[in-house]
Amino acid sequence: MKMALKIWRYDPIAGERALREYEVDAPDWATLLDLLDIVKDKHDGSLAYRKSCRMMICGSCGMRMDGAAVLACKTRMVDIAESGHVPVISAMGNMPIVKDLVVDMEPFWGKIRSVEPWLQPGYSDPGEKEYVVSQEEMDVIHKESLCIMCGCCVSECNSMEADPEFLGPAALAKGMRFVGDARDRATVERLQSYSSEHGIWDCTRCYFCQERCPKGVDPRDAIAKLGAEAMRVGVDSDMGAKHAKWFVTSAKTTGWLRETELVPKTQGVAKSLKEVKFAMGLLKHGKVPPPVPPHVAKHVDESRALYDLVKAQERSGAQGIVQSEKALAHLALDTDEDRDPYGEGSFPAPLPIEKDAQ
Amino acid sequence: MRQVAYYKGCLASLSAKELDTSTQALAPKVGLELIELEAVTCCGAGDIHEAEPDYYLHLNARILAYAEETGADTLMTICNVCTLNLRQANHALQNDAALLARVNENLVTVGAPPYSGGVEVMHFLWLISVGEGYELLQTAAHKGLKGLKVAPFYGCQILRPSKLLGFEDPDKPESLERIIRACGGEAIDYPAKVKCCGFPIIQAREDVALAELIQPIEQAKEAGADAMVTPCPLCHLSLDAWQSKLRKQTGKDFQMPILHLSQLVGVAAGLDSSELKFKRHVVSVEPVTEKLSV
Repeated sequence: MKMALKIWRYDPIAGERALREYEVDAPDWATLLDLLDIVKDKHDGSLAYRKSCRMMICGSCGMRMDGAAVLACKTRMVDIAESGHVPVISAMGNMPIVKDLVVDMEPFWGKIRSVEPWLQPGYSDPGEKEYVVSQEEMDVIHKESLCIMCGCCVSECNSMEADPEFLGPAALAKGMRFVGDARDRATVERLQSYSSEHGIWDCTRCYFCQERCPKGVDPRDAIAKLGAEAMRVGVDSDMGAKHAKWFVTSAKTTGWLRETELVPKTQGVAKSLKEVKFAMGLLKHGKVPPPVPPHVAKHVDESRALYDLVKAQERSGAQGIVQSEKALAHLALDTDEDRDPYGEGSFPAPLPIEKDAQ
Repeated sequence: MRQVAYYKGCLASLSAKELDTSTQALAPKVGLELIELEAVTCCGAGDIHEAEPDYYLHLNARILAYAEETGADTLMTICNVCTLNLRQANHALQNDAALLARVNENLVTVGAPPYSGGVEVMHFLWLISVGEGYELLQTAAHKGLKGLKVAPFYGCQILRPSKLLGFEDPDKPESLERIIRACGGEAIDYPAKVKCCGFPIIQAREDVALAELIQPIEQAKEAGADAMVTPCPLCHLSLDAWQSKLRKQTGKDFQMPILHLSQLVGVAAGLDSSELKFKRHVVSVEPVTEKLSV
């Protein structure tokens, strides 16, 4: 069938950008990557893009379709072509464009390297038998281990756009893959490093990474796990960590956020004094609620008791997030409810159970 | 009237009281009877999820349990962050019987009701942008926005992650646009309407947050917006209160009025100024009220 697409071309020698439209004949099972191959083979051999495995495992073909980062080899085109929409294909964001759809991944790899993505075991040779890592221990880093480093999460990261030095979702998720590894012994050092100025607490929780990741890594959740691990081991001096801790204190003392004290508790008294003029401007409009008398939730004793109770149950740190992953995982499955799983064109239907044989 | 449990969250209880008063005044006009929850706490705003995630799960389970106790099947939120935190906990509890059993045992131990998983968490925006709520809104918004140019700002945690929120296309949402048009306004389009306002890191990383915040305001201004509207009080606070910091940092004085969703619909529905409480905004809303002669 006829399939059309527009591609933002970039010629690095002339320094020129241009939007070109192509229409190709393609089979209805074609992916975006197949279309690009047809364009390159039959229409314009100068088109540049990355590819390798064609099966969502090498992470080479990250690019944008209609402004959203996708893996070209994972993106089927038939529905789009049938709708009549002509998608616009462009290079990923937050990285320099080399040519057409190819970006320079060096800033990406630099950040990956900076989290020291290798095991630092710190234990001696096990001798005759191997050390055994339990399934439960591996579950902690199951999702982070799925990363294929395609860059789709980084492409859309709002904090990285604002602060190009931000470590970003891919590198931090990789960091969690080692912080959470039962064999690694550099946890505290890693968390200190990842909690630096451009680290964990730079994340603004825009969740674009989670939305775009084609492999279900959920990088934002990985960053939250790092935050929780940092708290667990006492790496909590960053303003972001203090900010988060104040919410905990608020919840167990009054139930509601103690808003007005949040600034000095996050920034420290000295720094927050510099904000007095700004605060006075807000005060005029009731945006600085007086901390006394505190706004206390009814039955707040329950939330206090709950804090002590769960604290004693030792599901601290990343475990508190990992425990929900099994339940949340079913959301990640792209189930097409309208499709009969045993209908025409599907796998063979299961055979009926013979009652007598039971 | 459809009865819903009403969780107003931290900001609408204190610094964004205008969001609470306008929501409460508007609710009956769009067919909602709000049952306010009193024995509930902060949802953790993503911060407790990051600091003490097990405590986060229990706090949210407790909110859901008290919502369920009202007999309503819907817990209505008026904040993006509350919406995501509660929906995330709810999905986890609804889909893992062992997890729910453990959390319930803890809830009962401290004297709170257990949760059976029977509540759906819905943002106010979702209740009034489709179905019966939308029908009633079209009638209620009779005073109209008279062609006011309004830039919708969605913020993040009502759109993403869409597998948890899932109300609309996270890249091409249209619920706010539908509401703006239903109220007689003109919806302004601009790319940053689905991006981040920077609020979660505005205290710990102010420069990074301000670099995020300026985008939507600047784009909305350039697109000719008279005002921006947001379904989230945290977005509201950064867009409204931190504009003065943008002026100080960049020299650009946007003077962009920022309305809560309930205020925008409230103006169109003829709510009283004592319910809208525009004086509680840092950036003056007068250019809007003058244009509408209200």
